[in-house]
Amino acid sequence: MLEIKPIINALRRSKVGAILLLIQIAITTAIVSNAAFIIQDRMTYLQQETGYPEQDIFSITVMTYGKDRDLSQQFEEDEVLLRNLPGVVDASLSNAVPLSGSGSASGMGLKPAPEPGRNVRAGYLFGDDHMLNTLGVKLTQGRNFAPDEVIVTQDPGKVPNVAIASSTFVEEAYPDGDGLGKLMYMGDKPFKIIGIVDKMKGPWLKDDRPDNVVIFPYIKAETYQHIIVRTEPGQRAAVMQTVEDKLLAAYDKRVFTNVITLDENKRQYNASDTLMLRMLMVLIVVLVAITALGIFGLTLFNISKRTRQIGTRRALGARKSDIIRYFLVENTLICSGGLIIGCTAAVLMGQQLLQRFSLPALELQYIAGTAVMVLVMTLLAVIFPARRAAQISPSVATRSI
Amino acid sequence: MFLHYIDLGWRSLRRTPLVSFLMVLAIALGIGITMTSLSVYHMMSMDPIEHKSSRLFHPQLQTMDDGEDTWSEDNLPYQLTYQDAKNLAEAPFPQYKAAMLRTGFTVHMDNSEIRPFIQNTRVTHSDFFTLFDLSFLYGSAWTQEQADAASPVAVISEELNEKLFGGENSVGRQIYLDDTSFRIVGVIAPWQTHMKFYDVNNGAFNSQEGIYIPFSLIAAMDINTWGNSNGWKFENIRSMKDKRQSEIFWLQFWVQLEDEAAVSQYGDYLMSYMAEQQKFGRFNREQLEYGLRDVNAWLDYRNVVSEDNEVLVALSFMFLAVCLANILGLLLAKFMRRAPEVGVRRALGASKRQVFLQHIIEVSMLGLIGGLLGIGIAQLGLWGVRLTQEYYSPLATMDLSMLLSAPVIAISACVIAGLYPAWLVCRTTPATYLKTQ
Repeated sequence: MLEIKPIINALRRSKVGAILLLIQIAITTAIVSNAAFIIQDRMTYLQQETGYPEQDIFSITVMTYGKDRDLSQQFEEDEVLLRNLPGVVDASLSNAVPLSGSGSASGMGLKPAPEPGRNVRAGYLFGDDHMLNTLGVKLTQGRNFAPDEVIVTQDPGKVPNVAIASSTFVEEAYPDGDGLGKLMYMGDKPFKIIGIVDKMKGPWLKDDRPDNVVIFPYIKAETYQHIIVRTEPGQRAAVMQTVEDKLLAAYDKRVFTNVITLDENKRQYNASDTLMLRMLMVLIVVLVAITALGIFGLTLFNISKRTRQIGTRRALGARKSDIIRYFLVENTLICSGGLIIGCTAAVLMGQQLLQRFSLPALELQYIAGTAVMVLVMTLLAVIFPARRAAQISPSVATRSI
Repeated sequence: MFLHYIDLGWRSLRRTPLVSFLMVLAIALGIGITMTSLSVYHMMSMDPIEHKSSRLFHPQLQTMDDGEDTWSEDNLPYQLTYQDAKNLAEAPFPQYKAAMLRTGFTVHMDNSEIRPFIQNTRVTHSDFFTLFDLSFLYGSAWTQEQADAASPVAVISEELNEKLFGGENSVGRQIYLDDTSFRIVGVIAPWQTHMKFYDVNNGAFNSQEGIYIPFSLIAAMDINTWGNSNGWKFENIRSMKDKRQSEIFWLQFWVQLEDEAAVSQYGDYLMSYMAEQQKFGRFNREQLEYGLRDVNAWLDYRNVVSEDNEVLVALSFMFLAVCLANILGLLLAKFMRRAPEVGVRRALGASKRQVFLQHIIEVSMLGLIGGLLGIGIAQLGLWGVRLTQEYYSPLATMDLSMLLSAPVIAISACVIAGLYPAWLVCRTTPATYLKTQ
């Protein structure tokens, strides 16, 4: 019914064209399925929830070179100044800016050092009782720092004894779910977990534990200091414009290096992933277009070569739909061959990528999806030339004899 | 004859404008995409100091206790502790060596003309300038006496000299780093490389530091690093002095070793140094171990070329292969249709070789046009790269070798694709075609 045998016989006689098509389809399948998978992987990464209202937060980095003021005092005043600015919700000093790619991390021990015991890695932030509100994260258990728990000092011997942690961290440290109120140790210094935040990301989204964050109520003003500010929705740009001048007016022996929004900080940290994403998207689109054009061109060429053969078939009683079907079936045959090779190549390529690079294992549904797409695309590329072939008049067959 | 073939090829391309256009488009896109990723790769993997990269080495010491891990592939720490860096730098051997770290200061002139700004600063030994072949526009490196006395002296970059002093000879002038007055002793010419190969910890492609000051100031001024500090055991660090005496890794170290003998001699020296330090109760481990990699091995070890980029280069070459398969198909169609014409030429006395050559020249022309267009597309792609990733800006350009290799790759690719069709068409037996006409 599908005339597979004559089609194969015909293909045998013009092998090269068919093989070229087959190669193109195979490589396209292999590349597109792997690229689509990497794209999906990066998309999920880039669009992940960070727990912060990124569009309302910005940070300032200050380098103070003047020595004529007490740093702690100065920054306390700055915080008050910032919190009183119109449009500002809250502000807090911080040792690091979340999502920015720079910060501090440490293993938090279940036992005080140097006693041996399990350590759980976490990024940590120093801030005061305004920190949670500034970051716009919600406590799900426990309580915020009380103002008298915040240690404001320049003495490295004085440290806080409470902390608020992300739920992911607490669950890793205390898998039984009873972490609230438990003691942990940073070095030999104990701290009690008094609050748990459902979701907040640390300084590095690419850390092996990006969700493990601990906040300590600790302010040790440094000459190189970050301040985090959250504004009312829509007010951020206006606040950012004037903030540098206002802080400089308060004290001018310092330099503001980085007044930057949280989303911009994240964008810069992730720029290489965005780049990879865009390059792969361009690659896929162009590749699919080229392959489709190639199939289109080859079918047109095949048809022009076989004009007389088609005319003869029509003269012998084949209907137009038979001619179209002939080309569709022929194409499907070549395409299936290409897809079988392509899918195998895709799997092999996925394994290579997995081995050589830190990419996750290729999921099979991406290959299946790509195969279906390639098949549909080749059929579409064939339909137009096939319909043109069907228009060939039976008289062509007789004319030139 | 060659010009005649070019003329024939040009006519043939013009006769089938659509097919020619498609072929040129395919090769241009293939080359454009390949060159975009290849250019970035090329710039990333370039030897930053070609004439002496095999003579510069970064030593590593395995100073962690048995059972402790770091995240490098061979478990050797990437950086050195302050004590080791200082000891090795003060050792008599080899001649040129420098320990270093990156820090930063607020730079100002103690007047209101220039707004204070932050400048990355490298704290290092004066051999730094010799090791990395930096030439001085004005002045020179600081002297040994200045280093020993921890004098506040600085070497600045040409760029900074331009910004602060309008490019004139600034040797002897003062600048303020934070609140300390420094005297400028030298101005160096710009680096010959875009890569900060001597310290790849916080991005190998960030620009080099603008200020260089003596290593002895680390202790004198309690300078901390702006780069990475990695500890592996619990130490109670309360001051910079504690940090300098700790086992924390935070310094880079480079030496120049002239030949194989010097390399193995230095290896022996590192082993005996560690054995000696063990006597002080450090390096609590059975097996002492060191690393000594030259510049290129070091960059490879530190994975300076991003994985993403390697994946992209591989994918774009596969893409180029698809474009070639495409062109091959189109060429086949085009040449076979011209078989009757070739039959006539063969009958008139053209040899197979001549017919073959003629067709190869025609596809080379395709490759040349496609390659040139491909450079345009690659420029567009590189512009997109620069737009997406500012950090890649110094990398996302085509240098001369890339500009030249674009048409070369394009032409060779086209010739490879054209071999089979050209061979097929030159085998045409004249008789078959003469008969039907």
